Amino acid sequence: MIEIDAKAWQTMVLHAERIYPSECCGAMLGKTGADAKLVTEAVPLENSYAGAQHDRYELKPEDLLAADREARERGLELIGIFHSHPDCDAYFSETDLKNSCPWYSFVVLSIQKGKFDHANSFLPDMDQTAAEREEMKWPKS
Amino acid sequence: MAKILIPTALRQFTEQSDAVEVSGGTVAEALGALTERYPSIKKNLFSDQGKLRSFVNVYVNDEDIRYLDKVETKLEGNETISIVPSIAGGSAVLEEQTAALTNDEIARFSRHLILPEVGMQGQTKLKNAKVAMIGAGGLGAPLGLYLAAAGVGRIGLVDFDVVDVSNLQRQVIHGTKDIGRKKLDSAADRMQDINPNVRIDKFDTGLTSGNALEILKDYDIVVDGTDNFPTRYLVNDACVLLKKPNVYGSIFRFEGQATVFAYEDGPCYRCLYPEPPPPGLVPSCAEGGVLGILPGVIGVIQATEAVKIILGIGDTLKGRLLLYDALGMKFRELKLRRDKECPVCGDRPSVKELIDYQQFCGVMPMSEPVVSSGVIDAVELKEKIDRGDKFVLLDVREPHEYQIAKIPGSILIPLGDLGKRMGELDKDADIVAQCKSGGRSAKAVDLLKQNGFRNVRNMTGGITAWSEKVDPSVPKY
Repeated sequence: MIEIDAKAWQTMVLHAERIYPSECCGAMLGKTGADAKLVTEAVPLENSYAGAQHDRYELKPEDLLAADREARERGLELIGIFHSHPDCDAYFSETDLKNSCPWYSFVVLSIQKGKFDHANSFLPDMDQTAAEREEMKWPKS
Repeated sequence: MAKILIPTALRQFTEQSDAVEVSGGTVAEALGALTERYPSIKKNLFSDQGKLRSFVNVYVNDEDIRYLDKVETKLEGNETISIVPSIAGGSAVLEEQTAALTNDEIARFSRHLILPEVGMQGQTKLKNAKVAMIGAGGLGAPLGLYLAAAGVGRIGLVDFDVVDVSNLQRQVIHGTKDIGRKKLDSAADRMQDINPNVRIDKFDTGLTSGNALEILKDYDIVVDGTDNFPTRYLVNDACVLLKKPNVYGSIFRFEGQATVFAYEDGPCYRCLYPEPPPPGLVPSCAEGGVLGILPGVIGVIQATEAVKIILGIGDTLKGRLLLYDALGMKFRELKLRRDKECPVCGDRPSVKELIDYQQFCGVMPMSEPVVSSGVIDAVELKEKIDRGDKFVLLDVREPHEYQIAKIPGSILIPLGDLGKRMGELDKDADIVAQCKSGGRSAKAVDLLKQNGFRNVRNMTGGITAWSEKVDPSVPKY
């Protein structure tokens, strides 16, 4: 289970809506508890995909390295990655799967016509052949 | 000692250490030392083949080792090594990955692989090629067999017909055991038997203006094995609109044609034939007959062209109409040019979407009733004969068809001779015109009525209906 606190959630949604109609991306920091991962901070990162960004994103490894370092320094963990699907459902696409990493939770936010619509979290496997849906809690206000 | 920073997600494998000191002269040795100390981390970093997983990037200080000497990058002993996953994604549909040849396939296609014009590269192109075949009949038979055998990876079959005994004289993809089966199933079984690796998409439908673009859009090449003008124009227009090459073939009696339309800057079918022939002028194979071997020759030429286009070798038939005459055993060629005024592929096209091709070709819908007072069916004809009515049963088929089967008491005047032999008939007589299935006799009825014959009727269904409904001892052909 992954739980996202109000502050982190607000950062993610605002970022996704601001970057629309492109896909946004970023890192989620927090703590791993006994039965849930708690995200307390979201860090928007640059979408460095070289082509059209309305349906693709790419994270710069340097940015991810920096996010991991920052988490480390503040006693937090890099829990996962979030990105948006503009005008598209929050599913884990083949493109998402083939470019994923099994170490993290992947939260996908569906942004419809510029507004947040729904979200899901996924756990990809080691061979990038399947992703399991992860139970997710966020402040539905 | 180099220091390896452990990403938070992997600290569960390093007893929660966030950094591990290791020794090693290269990155490979340092990572080897890490996995030796913490074996359970290994599968997160390396595949079963021992390669770094595709999502794992390794940085030495701030440099990505991909731009250094990869895992052989030398270490002095005071570096910081970071493990960073590469992450991307998006809602975009992933471009299909090129599938490589398996060892079984390398063995199977060895005679292709040793041709330098094909080789591994060409055979891989074939494996990744997608060809749509319209029709699994006369032309579709050799096409399906050879395209599957050649290693074309994905073949879409479009056909709605069922195997009939009269198909087997030429449609060699089907067998006697397949009579009554869907041609799709029968053809797919045979193709899969030849090459189990071929993926066959079955479309159990006729190609229509409503479904053509949707069906054909996923394929690289379209091969037309159809036998009628509306579908031919439909395939042509769909290929031009989708910018896909149309490998064309047609057959009639002892002659065939083949070319490649809508390929690169070449012409399309409408550049050659802007207008369809009047309905009925050009008989179909069912009406006019066809030498069974003929579609074999033409279909194999089409298969050759499709394979050449996939491989990008040789000169295709683009801009050349190949004519084959089986009786004279001659091949001839006509030059074709793209027509700048062509309504589909010209410089200012007027046809920008698919139209109603039945209407374009002047084909009446099957359900259109012929003037009902002017028809008689097989059972009514039998009753008429049994009553002893005095009338003329006029058979308008060809003499060789008359030899195969006839209805007792009929007289033969082939449709083509009717104009000059009309005088043999009495204008006031009760006449019933009959042919194989009712098409030619309807034309005979029209012709006679225009010439003052007052009492002429068409026998619907022809001798085929007679054989089915009245006298099964009369053979169907």
